[in-house]
Amino acid sequence: MSLEEQLPETVAEGQSADELAELLGDLVIDRDDHVNAPGFVIRPDTVQDALRRLRDDAGFDHLSCVTAQEYEDRYESIYHLKKYNDPTQEANVIVPADKEHPVSQSAEPVFRTADWHEREAYDLIGIDYEEHPDLRRILLPDTWQGHPLSMDYDQDQPQIVSLREHANPLQEDQRSDSDSDTMFLNIGPHHPATHGVLHVKATLDGEQVADVESDIGYLHRCEEQMCQTKTYRHQIMPYPDRWDYISAGLLNEWAYARAAEDLNDIEVPEYAQIIRTMGAELCRMAAHFLALGTFALDVYGDFTAIFMYAVRDREEVQNILEDLTGQRLMFNYFRLGGVVWDLPEPREEFFEMTRDYLDRLPEHLEEYHDLVTGNEILQMRTIDTGILPPEVAKSYGATGPVARGSGIDYDLRRDDPYGYYDELDWDVIVKDGCDNYSRLLVRMLEVEQSAKIVEQCIDLLEDWPEDERNIQSNVPRTLRPDDDKEIYRAVEGAKGELGIYMRADGTEKPARFKIRSPCFSNLQTLPEMSNGEFVPDMIAALGSLDIVLGEVDR
Amino acid sequence: MAAPLQSALLPEQIANAFGLSGVLGEIVGGLIGAFLIANIMLAMTAIAGPWAKRKITAAFTDRIAVNRIGPFGILVIIPDAVRLLSKELIVPEGVDRPSWDLAPIVLPASALLGFAVIPMGNLGPINFHLADPEAGLAIVFAFASIASVSLIMAGYSSNNKYSLMGGLRAVAQNIAYEIPLIITALSVVIFAGTLQMSEIVAAQTDALVTIAGISIPAWYAFVNPFAFVLFLVANMAEIGRNPFDIPEAPTEIVAGYQTEYSSVYFVLFYLGEFIHIFLGGAIMAVVFLGGAAAPISALSFVPGFVWFVIKMWAFFLFTQWCRSALPRVRIDQLIEIGWKGMLVLSFANLVLTAVIVGVLL
Repeated sequence: MSLEEQLPETVAEGQSADELAELLGDLVIDRDDHVNAPGFVIRPDTVQDALRRLRDDAGFDHLSCVTAQEYEDRYESIYHLKKYNDPTQEANVIVPADKEHPVSQSAEPVFRTADWHEREAYDLIGIDYEEHPDLRRILLPDTWQGHPLSMDYDQDQPQIVSLREHANPLQEDQRSDSDSDTMFLNIGPHHPATHGVLHVKATLDGEQVADVESDIGYLHRCEEQMCQTKTYRHQIMPYPDRWDYISAGLLNEWAYARAAEDLNDIEVPEYAQIIRTMGAELCRMAAHFLALGTFALDVYGDFTAIFMYAVRDREEVQNILEDLTGQRLMFNYFRLGGVVWDLPEPREEFFEMTRDYLDRLPEHLEEYHDLVTGNEILQMRTIDTGILPPEVAKSYGATGPVARGSGIDYDLRRDDPYGYYDELDWDVIVKDGCDNYSRLLVRMLEVEQSAKIVEQCIDLLEDWPEDERNIQSNVPRTLRPDDDKEIYRAVEGAKGELGIYMRADGTEKPARFKIRSPCFSNLQTLPEMSNGEFVPDMIAALGSLDIVLGEVDR
Repeated sequence: MAAPLQSALLPEQIANAFGLSGVLGEIVGGLIGAFLIANIMLAMTAIAGPWAKRKITAAFTDRIAVNRIGPFGILVIIPDAVRLLSKELIVPEGVDRPSWDLAPIVLPASALLGFAVIPMGNLGPINFHLADPEAGLAIVFAFASIASVSLIMAGYSSNNKYSLMGGLRAVAQNIAYEIPLIITALSVVIFAGTLQMSEIVAAQTDALVTIAGISIPAWYAFVNPFAFVLFLVANMAEIGRNPFDIPEAPTEIVAGYQTEYSSVYFVLFYLGEFIHIFLGGAIMAVVFLGGAAAPISALSFVPGFVWFVIKMWAFFLFTQWCRSALPRVRIDQLIEIGWKGMLVLSFANLVLTAVIVGVLL
């Protein structure tokens, strides 16, 4: 898939690249097409104008990701745009910024999701976004010196922060403002409801939430930077397992595999695609079970039986995955061009074990529906709480079960097919309740669909002729994509659209590696869902978002 | 000789056993009797808290739980006690000292005091009943209500926002549910015509119906099942267990009023909650389940005290079952159920009962 072949395909049904260029008119000062989409270079003070035109006149209503990077002679922000009704139609808006004073117009007024994405770009790269409502650091502490992914950043520079600056971080909320009738409350980073190190700064009016602000970055592990120092061929693959570590490892690996394979024109054998599809769906089942269990913890309290039931089911999936990959969490099973090894021998045993589980699953799901979705108190608690209207969800770039629970029919497995999904028979689950209950229900029903996919994959694998079991295509030992070749590719992770942007510089390591985390975008919707609601509903909304802090913070 | 012993209260029996009489006999008998009853309750709590609760929750969630020390792991109580007592008692800065220290004592004390008037039946010649005042039912509710004071003391004095929210929730919840609780109990008083505990139990001894030789006793749970269900729900809210565990609401407000408590103070809270559950079960048993009576007369060879303990544990089991299976309601929903639903229903029940008793009986 070279650049020339790719382009006509991606814009086949929508506007052609030239039509888009015409739409943008004199805003376009240059073209810089990527592997996945045409790229329009614009001036840094016309960002809102360009994005608004693309959104309103061309239908690009999904700002999937904002990538920032520094070149020798300039800074650059890339806005990766898609359409919710057809994510194969993509467009990139590329905004160069001055090397000395990197200033660029903020896209926040057009796409709300740009708020956090641009804060991250400011934090890690150092681009100054004008008109941004709240340009602060997001992943690193406020006291951090320098921008770690910029070129002149000295990694050995000690980050010494004086005691004065770190003096009691909670001091501020202890002030007694006699005029105020609200209460400031720190929820987290160590709190039973946050499922990890998330810090929610909540302002309460009695039991009602007046305002919430998520404070993230406690689990930032420099994943992007680490991937930039590793080679494409083998060294990057172990890292995706550590983003969404809640048993969604293979889904994450696929995100990297898909982007890297398209970047290097690697074909994947059909047999390997089926194994990938099966493994990925098993991961999705495990991840959704855990989401169900932790949501139950939030709504039922910490002695609920549902959590243990969900963990029990997840455990069985985990055993299957262990047999398949040799690992329980950090699978490292995918390779560029296929998977690392074939199904475990004896194959019959593996098939039997998986089939056994799939046979028992409907009964278990029935039990969950009895205990959870059928429970009237739960319905009372979750229906019409944590409302996320579809328009708001789109503006925040919400994807995955969060978007599908808001009635947005968007699933990359179907809309931007990869792997073996388009050959199989399954449905995209969409509920239009827009509330906590819908998001819960979507996950539970998706487990059924995943089981259906796994079952079909098992059938296919069982009948596959023995001499055609090709698990990997021939991939060169060292991969060196052409200089300045850029790609953004996404897959449907357990939490939503997990995208990878890579820029090659002619070496065997990516010059820029950017992760578009679905949880990062989904978490931004928390204030929209919880402002004005009661505290328990805010907690439930947070649980229904199903965030994993390892993926939010990377 | 046996018959008068049966009806004598525990302090009197003890005084007689020591050959004491008069004021001295009353004081010695009362103190020893109270000590005995309190220790029985504490022993039950010790079994319920560290061991039974774990086993029950484990059974609901397909696990095994403690099974290493002693038969079925029951001796885990000992290491648990050592562990809890040897933990550091952390006193946060800025707590309101006298009330912060008093709160964990008031909670178990109030629940234990309630048992003073509960007739717990006979075990051999011993009658487990400390006092039988004429206003017994009113006294037990009064004692049980002191618990709310403890919760707000703990919530307010902890100097912690989660504790404060927990304390406020506890008060709102207890006010909303104590009124229906007492009004529903009043309907039983109308039936029995007395507030005296022993009389309420005695009024439930007749047979309601006899089917195939097995007579079903006239327990008020059978006479007025509607009141029984109302009372059960209100009682669940009163003791703060699922679906009404919002004063603690782990995962929302950490642990509510007890967030800042550790070590012995935490144990006292824990103890107080369990005794409170047992007190709730005891009130249910006395008011609706015939006190210490056997469910069918063929089983009355089993001592009454055993039946009473079984009834209390049945209620405890019920709370644990709800805890494993039910979500918690939201605070506004809880208040709504309390004031708009339970209160109206309990008054309707009271008026109906009064009319029926006045017209028919």
